[in-house]
Amino acid sequence: MLRHFVFGLLSFVFLCAPAHAVEKYVAAADCYWPPMELTDSNKQPTGYSPDFLKALAKAVGIEIEVRNVAWDGIFGGVATGQYDIVSSSVTITEERKKQFDFSDPYFEVVQAVLLPAGKHINSLKDLKGMKVGGQIATTGIFVVRKADVGAELKEYDDVGLAIEDLLKGRIDAVICDDPVALYYVNKKADTAGKLNISFKTQEKEYYGFVVKKGRKDLLEKLNKGIRLLKESGEERKIAEKWLGN
Amino acid sequence: MEDKKDGSKANIVMVTDGASIPDPREWRLINAWSIALLGAICTLCALCVIWPEPYLRILLYLPDGVLITFKITLMAICCAVPLGLITGLGRISRNRFINLLASTYVEVIRGIPLLVQIFYIYYALSRFVQVSGITSAVVAISFCYGAYMGEVFRAGISAIDKGQTEAARSLGFNRYQTMRLVILPQAMRTILPPVGNECIAMLKDTSLVSIMAVPDIMQRARSFVGTTYLYFETYTMVALLYLIITLLLSKAVSIMESRLNYYDAK
Repeated sequence: MLRHFVFGLLSFVFLCAPAHAVEKYVAAADCYWPPMELTDSNKQPTGYSPDFLKALAKAVGIEIEVRNVAWDGIFGGVATGQYDIVSSSVTITEERKKQFDFSDPYFEVVQAVLLPAGKHINSLKDLKGMKVGGQIATTGIFVVRKADVGAELKEYDDVGLAIEDLLKGRIDAVICDDPVALYYVNKKADTAGKLNISFKTQEKEYYGFVVKKGRKDLLEKLNKGIRLLKESGEERKIAEKWLGN
Repeated sequence: MEDKKDGSKANIVMVTDGASIPDPREWRLINAWSIALLGAICTLCALCVIWPEPYLRILLYLPDGVLITFKITLMAICCAVPLGLITGLGRISRNRFINLLASTYVEVIRGIPLLVQIFYIYYALSRFVQVSGITSAVVAISFCYGAYMGEVFRAGISAIDKGQTEAARSLGFNRYQTMRLVILPQAMRTILPPVGNECIAMLKDTSLVSIMAVPDIMQRARSFVGTTYLYFETYTMVALLYLIITLLLSKAVSIMESRLNYYDAK
């Protein structure tokens, strides 16, 4: 009995030991949002946000592990504590703020409407009667829904599937954040040249890191890190690496 | 509950895990089926009455998804049952070529997950033909369940005593007439419960098509969660909704089964 007890205690101590070293946090990213989040050839998350987060962790002396988590349900995971941070190009919105806490903004985007090359629209109103695709529960979808222009919305699991259907002609337009739209228009080998960004919204959106309500300690670290990266110019380097000019 | 089944009727085939069909001979008021149904309906109503926000809002958000789910399921049943019958007949065919064809189809389809088949038909086949999300969902589900049901039909047909065939043949029926007029009507009684089970399993599996941007119950729910972040509440309602639908369907199959078993019960 005593032996069991001592053994249990010892293993408990050993298991706890690493926790006293560097503070370690886990971040979730949906790696289907290139170039902000994607996976490299080793299936590891990479892209602007993971790089930013790693640089941030280094600057404030913590450790952050980025995990690939599907977008659908990514907020549920942070609410139930499966990870500490959502770092997945999450736009700061009022609705989201009611449920979660956000860090300071770290990136600025607008919504871009992608059409097949050669087609054009001048405003969201021109989407009337069109089939518009986007990633489920992203701000692009929200923008079209809010504009209420009479477009038929198709919500895909990830934006890549929507682009695929756009190229196949099953839908007429795709709406997503402008860096992602740019990536598909310019960088991705099999879609470059076949698409064009026809319209961008005026309202700017800001990405923030999401944490569970009340995680003040973690927010302070993240905000400090964001400030440090902006001051040191490291942010610009990461942006140049992933977004070009 | 006494078992009135005779030897030949004990041939019940379960290929996949559908909802269990309530026994038509079950006469007690309180049984697993009634508890589940009553529990689900009461929970649903209670939630909507006590907390109209958000539960009632969720419930009102889902009906168009229920329609799509039904539409896909119905269309898939209409395709899968005939396909299953043909496959089943092919599996017992004495023609080597037809037999091999049917058996290979069953082996191949049963070895591929339905989700993969749905993706495959939607994205891979779109290189050659343009099909909408709903059509390709119906095609994928029909193909998959056609194979499962083929096995059900095969087992049901082979469960009929050989003497029936011999008697029919000696009365001058040809092979086609024997099958259509003597064997199949009898086999139907054995086949109906597992086929009903397959159909219910099919209804549940239609939730997979939400990945193709088809707005069924599941996609409507996910879309709702995407704007409100009420994971627990929304999926509770979705689970209750599916449960009520499958319970009602399984009762319907059970009633049909008891009607068909009219002569056995005597």
